[in-house]
Amino acid sequence: MIRIFGYSLEKKPTTSPIMEFVAVLIALLIAFGVSALLIASAGANVAEAFRSLLRGSFGSRSAIAETIIQGTPLILTGLAVTVAFRGQLWNIGAEGQFFAGAMASYLVATSLPELSRVPMVLTIFLAALIAGGVLGAIPAILKVRFGASEVIVTVMLNFVVLFFLSYLLSGPWQDPMSAFLQTSRITETARVSRIITGTRIHIGIIIALISVVVVWFLLFKTTLGYEIRAYGINPIASKYKGIPPLRTIVLTLAISGAIAALAGAGEVVGLHGRLRLDISTGFGFTGIIVALLGRLHPFLVVAAALFMGALWNGSLAMQITTGVPIALAYVIRGVVLVALLAAETLTHYRIRRVCDE
Amino acid sequence: MTGLPDHARPILQPILQVENLTKRFPSVLALDNVSMDVKRGEIHCLLGENGAGKSTLSETIYGTYLPDSGKIFFRGAPVEIMSPKDAIAAGISIVHQHFVLVPPLTVLENVILGTQKSGLYMDLKYARERLNELSRNYGVALNLDARVWHLSVGEQQWVEIFKALYIGVDLLILDEPTAVLTPQQSERLFSVIKQMRDEGLAIIFITHKLKEVKAVSDRVTVLRKGKKIATVNTKDVSKQELANMMVGRDVVFTIERQDMPPGEVVFEANNLRALNFHGEEGLRGVSFDVREKEVLGLAGVSGNGQKLLFDVIVGQEKPTEGSLKLAGRDITNTTTSKRMKLGLSSIPEDRIKEGLVMDFMVEENLILGFQRREPFAKGKTLVNQKAIRKFSKKSIEDFDIATPSSKQISKKLSGGNLQKLILAREFSQETKFLIAGQPTRGLDVGSTEYVRRRILEQKRKGAGVLLISEDLDEILNLSDRIAVIFKGELMDIIDVNEADIEQLGLLMAGIQKGEEV
Ligand SMILES: Nc1ncnc2c1ncn2[C@@H]1O[C@H](COP(=O)(O)OP(=O)(O)O)[C@@H](O)[C@H]1O
Ligand SMILES: [Mg+2]
Repeated sequence: MIRIFGYSLEKKPTTSPIMEFVAVLIALLIAFGVSALLIASAGANVAEAFRSLLRGSFGSRSAIAETIIQGTPLILTGLAVTVAFRGQLWNIGAEGQFFAGAMASYLVATSLPELSRVPMVLTIFLAALIAGGVLGAIPAILKVRFGASEVIVTVMLNFVVLFFLSYLLSGPWQDPMSAFLQTSRITETARVSRIITGTRIHIGIIIALISVVVVWFLLFKTTLGYEIRAYGINPIASKYKGIPPLRTIVLTLAISGAIAALAGAGEVVGLHGRLRLDISTGFGFTGIIVALLGRLHPFLVVAAALFMGALWNGSLAMQITTGVPIALAYVIRGVVLVALLAAETLTHYRIRRVCDE
Repeated sequence: MTGLPDHARPILQPILQVENLTKRFPSVLALDNVSMDVKRGEIHCLLGENGAGKSTLSETIYGTYLPDSGKIFFRGAPVEIMSPKDAIAAGISIVHQHFVLVPPLTVLENVILGTQKSGLYMDLKYARERLNELSRNYGVALNLDARVWHLSVGEQQWVEIFKALYIGVDLLILDEPTAVLTPQQSERLFSVIKQMRDEGLAIIFITHKLKEVKAVSDRVTVLRKGKKIATVNTKDVSKQELANMMVGRDVVFTIERQDMPPGEVVFEANNLRALNFHGEEGLRGVSFDVREKEVLGLAGVSGNGQKLLFDVIVGQEKPTEGSLKLAGRDITNTTTSKRMKLGLSSIPEDRIKEGLVMDFMVEENLILGFQRREPFAKGKTLVNQKAIRKFSKKSIEDFDIATPSSKQISKKLSGGNLQKLILAREFSQETKFLIAGQPTRGLDVGSTEYVRRRILEQKRKGAGVLLISEDLDEILNLSDRIAVIFKGELMDIIDVNEADIEQLGLLMAGIQKGEEV
């Protein structure tokens, strides 16, 4: 307990949902306050910057569509992190899992070119699920068998995957017609893009929305989801009541990895049609913020993902009109995360007068 | 009785006066306008059920907590005790309910630690002399060079007490000191603190056991739910009166155990050996069996292997040697969930850590461990919400769980209701063998009664029960046979009709029948 001038900061046993909502709002306000200061210090007009940020994210039909496009992979990585965090398993590896899914997609598209569209796309997403699942299971097994922290293993696996991909892109998989680190375009039968005319909205959003329902169902309507949540809140009691740690941890992280991989597959199949290192703007990491902002609830994750997508696109527009560098978007994301974590902690405390003097 | 008879002791001004003390914690009003006083040369009991506010009151006097309002007078003058440092300086010391010793250090180092006035230099020689003098005076042997983690809990308590004496106190507070002692050790403690009283110390002795109040105190202040009920002269009240004050209604004291012919052997432990948390052998060849319709009580001072035995039986720790049999099957190498399916029900000692998911709703906790079984699951994979809701409504009613709804978050329930929740869950399957670890520890009198009745009901229905408890009265009231555990070994197993407290106490201290005390 901290005590200053007759006031004390005390831990509260419970918090109300309203308080949590208010805390998120305050966190966002703080984040924008800090951003405003940064914009001003970069020498730009704050009001104009925010106006272009808004215009860039929601200002037109195409802006809204781009926000949805940007939010699509974030919904999936946000869900991936949600599943893991619900089980108190800190999966920081969604970025690597995203690329595992993207690589699996490319591999299927190029090695089975004779498949027609429906089996092709189904195979691609299946392959992505498997790739992400396997990548997710590795830290789980290391954790149960050797007590290795999943935080470190998942972070390290990001590097493994990214460096491996860099190698592939600069050699075996490199587009022979290009000097860039990228593959050639995948076959047309492996593409499902532009499902709404006039926009670039693609199959990813359908996959993402289906996943939202599936994750919600998994967490709250299946016995496995029950076990994941139980294990996440109290692993000791769960063990004492016979919930097996190995199965629970492996399944949780495998499912988490699989969902993150779907995001990568969606970007390849729906948007880019090829593999490059910059098909992710850090979706795996932003997924952590999305999951926390969405209070680890699948439905709220959608809103959080769209918000973060809007923020990204808005920042792009802001860069163009006011010259504030896009790096500011990263800064705002960071500030949102920190403010959120602080608010999260503070909702569990309250300030009270302790002595009448 | 040692020392002077009551009437011969001089009547002195109170050394401590507490006036209208109020202390609120986030969730409860722990002290509500409490006033009391303690005199020199008096042992003053603070009596109350768990959660009554006894520890809060003493920790407030000691400066661990600041009161929200109220005044404290010491030696007739108002004092501002802002921290334990102020309390120590004034001459107030406490032996906490949970000790604060540093296990790797020796007894001597522990006593000096935090008691020396200033500087890095420790006057070990002086401290050693002073401590030897104290231990001679009170006739308590204390090995000053032993590392604290080698000592039994009872011995650690002496270290705490001597630490207080070493600093020099006028008011010594003992917070539930007998919770970790055998009956004989308690007797020993009583005679020592009586000697201290006769030497003029004021002593606050906290307990929730009526017997101890009668045995040791001059006056007693009863607390209930943060309120002071009364302060009375101990010799003017009966135990029954004290009990009624403490609980606030008439109390039924004992639950009648029923003798019934036991059935087949339902559980067997053969020569169990296992390593504890420290990597030492915590179970050293434990063998016993439990029959249907029988309660085997396991008595012992805590920390003698009870917890490890519990963990081995439910399948959370592997024995290094020996075997377990449940309902005729060897279960030595089976998983916890397999054992549960064979009819093992368990009430863990630490219900919050090991028995419940506190952030779960009541209805979710009611199926923990059974989530894949019919009817709570459809085909093992899907949650059957309807069946769960129905079961939880019924459980809340049958087990009298006080909760506004089955969707209530479990951590809002009181200790007694949490324990009822666990009982409802564990008894939802046909229980062949029940292992209960300290099932009534920390519960109020009402819940305690209830839990005991439910355990006996399982016995009547045909279950075998292993009851692990530190409360000898509980063991004597519920068990058909009593095993005593000491340092990982069963000292003896005796029929309850042949057991007496004296003998059990000796066994708990590791002394066999006929041995020299
Ligand atoms: N540090 C604390 N923070 C919050 N609540 C507390 C704290 N200490 C005690 N309480 C609560 O205050 C009440 C009185 O507790 P306590 O003084 O420990 O009772 P006792 O010692 O009589 O068993 C209980 O309801 C308990 O849960
Ligand atoms: Mg207490």
